[in-house]
Amino acid sequence: MSWEDVGSVADLERDGHVVARVGGREIGVVAVNGELRGVRNRCPHHGGPLCLGTVRERVAGDPGRYRLGGQSVLRCPWHGWEFDPATGRCLDDDSMRVAVYRAKAEDGRVLVDI
Amino acid sequence: MIDCDIHPQVGDVEEFLGYVDPGQREWFRSQGPSLGIPGYAWVHPSSWFRADIEQNGHPPASHVDAVRRELLDPSGTEIGILNGDDAVLVSLMPSPYRATALARAHNEWLRERWLAEEPRLRASILCPAQDPRAAAAEIRRMAEDERFVQVLLCGGADRPYGEPRYLPIFEAAAECGLPVAIHSGGEGMGIAAPPGGAGPVTFYIEWHTLGSACSIMSHLVSLVCHGTFERLPGLKVLLIEGGIAWLPGILWRLDTNWRALRSETPWLERKPSEVAREHVRFSTQPLEHTDGRDETLFEMLEAAGAPDNLCFASDYPHWDFDDAGFMLKRLPEAWRDKVLHDNAAELYGERLGLARA
Repeated sequence: MSWEDVGSVADLERDGHVVARVGGREIGVVAVNGELRGVRNRCPHHGGPLCLGTVRERVAGDPGRYRLGGQSVLRCPWHGWEFDPATGRCLDDDSMRVAVYRAKAEDGRVLVDI
Repeated sequence: MIDCDIHPQVGDVEEFLGYVDPGQREWFRSQGPSLGIPGYAWVHPSSWFRADIEQNGHPPASHVDAVRRELLDPSGTEIGILNGDDAVLVSLMPSPYRATALARAHNEWLRERWLAEEPRLRASILCPAQDPRAAAAEIRRMAEDERFVQVLLCGGADRPYGEPRYLPIFEAAAECGLPVAIHSGGEGMGIAAPPGGAGPVTFYIEWHTLGSACSIMSHLVSLVCHGTFERLPGLKVLLIEGGIAWLPGILWRLDTNWRALRSETPWLERKPSEVAREHVRFSTQPLEHTDGRDETLFEMLEAAGAPDNLCFASDYPHWDFDDAGFMLKRLPEAWRDKVLHDNAAELYGERLGLARA
């Protein structure tokens, strides 16, 4: 377990994500309500670059009625499958999960606990 | 054995008119034998009916004696459910007022001329879908007679049935504990949308291949996506005569899209296929021929919930009917009791076993 540098805080603020190759895997960090979350940059559905997706509040509802449901999700940029960035669980398919990591900002750098 | 789809025909139009509201009788009489029901633009090239059935100048299956002799007795049918034939197209008549009168007359005609004559028969409640409030009232009225075991809607429609305008129909059915059957037919007729999804087709074979399957698929997808079953957790729907070989494909497709597009229908918290498996049943007829690949078909259908979601239907007296004896041999042994009897018995519940009203 070690903290790896995956990019600058400035890049994260500008792009909404940073991604770096760490030990043969692409790991990204996204900001979710001010907290940093490390996520493997490979969607378990189809292999898409998950961290380049968007962080959204998941839509909920009853038939014919929509509301924001309070759950933050990372939505894959390829097919739109949604993941809980805290647990890595795919909210649309119980059989799928992406690896997630602790992340933090320190001295202008973004660090992931691998 | 329970047969979920028997089609009684109106043989004596004048006798039928006796069941029509007197204030509208003259209008219906002036329409001739069609009774104002929209006619088919695509017609079977020889006959809609089996050619071996006795007619004697009347349509086949226009008298309860014929149904007894030709179907119920030889097939050993324990319970047969009567579904209006051309009459199901009342929902496609331009006038909801005529449609309401005709549906009511048809229900009364079934009650007196059929159900009162043969204890093995049950019937579906015909209702005018283009006027959902009137339809709901007719459902509640007829549901008091326990021999009416389901509501009947037409595959042809101006929009798919998940649309909220149709909710009063499904609410009334659920309230009365009745399943809703949607029987293919009428696609492209009267006020219905064209069959097939790419404009009007040319041939009857196209209509029969696409129209009935596509309308049934549309209603299935619509009811699931609109959350009709989330609104009405007790509701069951029986889809009749739309084919079933396509079912695994459409459910896999719908599940795939649901994962990607769920923000459009966020009330669907389960996979659409799981919702369909719980709430939707399918008639087996017309079971597709597979050129010797029945095992592939049955394996695919198992992935979509079979045999628990399949109910036998003969479609007597039509040309593309399925014979019960033939089906008995064709279905996997482990499926037979469920498909030929148990699933329908569960779907219709206590109404099947109750004494005459």
